Amino acid sequence: MLPGYKGVCIAALCAIAAGMAFAQAKAPRGNWTPPKTAWGDPDLQGVWTSDDSFGVPYERPRRYGNRTLLTDEEYAERAKENELLASSIQAGVTPKAGYWLQHEGVDYQPYNSNWSEFARQTSRQTSLIVDPEDGHFPPLTQQAMMQRAAAIYASRLRLRPESWEDLSIYARCITRGVLGSMLPVMYGNGTDILQSPGLVVIRYEMIHETRIVPIDPPNNPHPHLPASLRTYMGDPRGHWEGNTLVVETTNFIGGRAGIGPNGDGVKYSEDMRLVERFTRTSDRSIQYEVTVFDPKTFTASWAVVFPITEEPGYQIFEYACHEGNYAMSNILSGARAEEAQEKAQPAVK
Amino acid sequence: MASTRRSKMRARNKLAILAGVALLAAATSVWAHHSFSAEFDGNKPVKLRGTVTKMEWINPHAWIHIDVKDESGKVTNWMVECGAPNVLFRRGITKNAVAAGMEIVVDGYRAKDGSARANGKDVTFPGGKTLFLGTPGVGAPGDAQEK
Amino acid sequence: MQIRPIAFKIGAVLLACMPSSLRGQAYHAPRAAGGHADLSGIWEALNTANWDLEDHSAEAGPMWQTGAIGSEPAGQGVVEGGAIPYLPAALEVRKTNFANRRTNDPEAKCYMPGIPRANYMPYPFQIVQSPRGILFAYEYASANRLVNMGKPVEPVSDTWMGTNNGYWEGDTLVVDVTGFNGLAWFDRAGDFASDKLHVVERFTRTDRDHLQYEATIEDPSVFSRPWKISMPLYRRVEKNAQLLEFKCVEFAEELLYGQYKKK
Repeated sequence: MLPGYKGVCIAALCAIAAGMAFAQAKAPRGNWTPPKTAWGDPDLQGVWTSDDSFGVPYERPRRYGNRTLLTDEEYAERAKENELLASSIQAGVTPKAGYWLQHEGVDYQPYNSNWSEFARQTSRQTSLIVDPEDGHFPPLTQQAMMQRAAAIYASRLRLRPESWEDLSIYARCITRGVLGSMLPVMYGNGTDILQSPGLVVIRYEMIHETRIVPIDPPNNPHPHLPASLRTYMGDPRGHWEGNTLVVETTNFIGGRAGIGPNGDGVKYSEDMRLVERFTRTSDRSIQYEVTVFDPKTFTASWAVVFPITEEPGYQIFEYACHEGNYAMSNILSGARAEEAQEKAQPAVK
Repeated sequence: MASTRRSKMRARNKLAILAGVALLAAATSVWAHHSFSAEFDGNKPVKLRGTVTKMEWINPHAWIHIDVKDESGKVTNWMVECGAPNVLFRRGITKNAVAAGMEIVVDGYRAKDGSARANGKDVTFPGGKTLFLGTPGVGAPGDAQEK
Repeated sequence: MQIRPIAFKIGAVLLACMPSSLRGQAYHAPRAAGGHADLSGIWEALNTANWDLEDHSAEAGPMWQTGAIGSEPAGQGVVEGGAIPYLPAALEVRKTNFANRRTNDPEAKCYMPGIPRANYMPYPFQIVQSPRGILFAYEYASANRLVNMGKPVEPVSDTWMGTNNGYWEGDTLVVDVTGFNGLAWFDRAGDFASDKLHVVERFTRTDRDHLQYEATIEDPSVFSRPWKISMPLYRRVEKNAQLLEFKCVEFAEELLYGQYKKK
């Protein structure tokens, strides 16, 4: 057991596992045996996607209280909405559901809806965060709150991006971080898992990331990199606990990417430690759990759970983000053009 | 003094609001990485009708290049920004789906810097049928040559 | 005179104890989990191919400001036959590329290096053999490619790292790569190809710590005939060797977007 690991509320986990479309609440009982690789490790291999969890709120809407699952009625409503989204997207029509309905104005309908993915199975979860039990982030530390407030305030003052540094680390096509690469978004949710003896490789479609996780015996993890060597995707170390792959990752570059989808949101610090658990729960799904320890940013640890599922026909294609990033030069040149116009304005009568 | 108390309260409220905002730990972005309005001007709608010269099936946005002829006969090559192509590749659309020479209609908004660039809010064939639609066999462009 | 059976047995033992190079037999690589030769590990090229595939003398780099650090060492070429067989018009393009290499080399922009260049950049890469295919994970720009070892697939679109279909020829991994976008270079000297590029690579383990890498390059719109490069790849034998990350985009932003920065 990893020192300081705080187990996620077992009840919440079991409830979610039971609620998942494909899931079996507990592993090998009855007629399903978790597959194994040729060398005897649990088999997590395949192309998985979080598409089915797109639309599930990150933080739980207050009206659900401490409930981790939707009622049958609520589930039926969400399923209906998902059907509407799916058929609208496939027909190339702007859906009157989901966030298309929640937002107005031109900013939220830049392209035809058929450029977006959609859930193939409806999720029963009230939120992605399951710990703390109210489904919300624990309070930020004083320091993190000040930093975040200052950043928001500064961005309100700055009308336009002055350079690439004013755009997110994702818009710069650098990285989305580990959390940001797993959390479901509008497209690019592919996670490809490969295994070979002693290694598990987790590849993300967006932005062509590769995490090579060395597998250690459970009580003998080999040490992480020294603290002075940091990367955006961190330094992972893995081991098996029964049927579950446990990955502990440290050595993150802090203050750049955030804890939200695509690496948005509150930026995590370099002290962040992630403990992820991957458990195959059926032929077509893996339960993904991640616990975030970042005492510089959050006053307590918190955890997220959702399944990554097999979507028939899903393939990962190259996502050469930086190489095609016309948007960066377009956004900056647009900002300079507006500034020039503003400057010229007073002289024009 | 009353005014100091009031300004202290205002400051405290501001801090509370800021704290509330700060607690919005995860902002969900729209088309994943940057807002439309950072690049395009919502006050400059354009409607373009032209011939495709090339299609860049790239990330994070695919771009269609089209030659547009104005009333005087002058031809300008426009770049039209679309979504990310990987979604369409998964639905069976390949790079052959859009060929040079195809005539298309674009409804969108012009780039902020005034250049010949727009976002492809709606990209259709002249008849009105949406380009880049869905799975093969349901009228996706390139269907005819694919099977 | 009849040779006694024991002599054969002693002979066999003696032969087995001799190093393979003296034995005159090819090295027999250990087997990976799938039953084929094990090519897995962290590898790196140790030559100047990334500067220039052809033979070259030492020369100044594109920026005198970095002194000797940015300059180019002499190097023996890796092209079989010596010169790359450019068509005349293409040779002119190579010259232009070279003249503009400071700004136009995709490596300067931290663009993915494509194949074959990714394999001989001066940074390590890792080969992982799995039932789902053979992964090449490169440190530079987090580039990677998963070689499909099943039925070959057609490219769906043009990419930087190509569409990679592989198969075994005995203990040699053959990778057939097509579907390139024609934007990558082969080196810092401006060597290039178009989107008609077709590369066939061969990876063979020659002993515990070396791979022999060969690539046949074909592009009828740029070259007058197919040509071949070959070089050894060396295992990173440090006990703690692991692939790190070289996400260089942020080091290329000033070069790419500096002109759009607010003054």
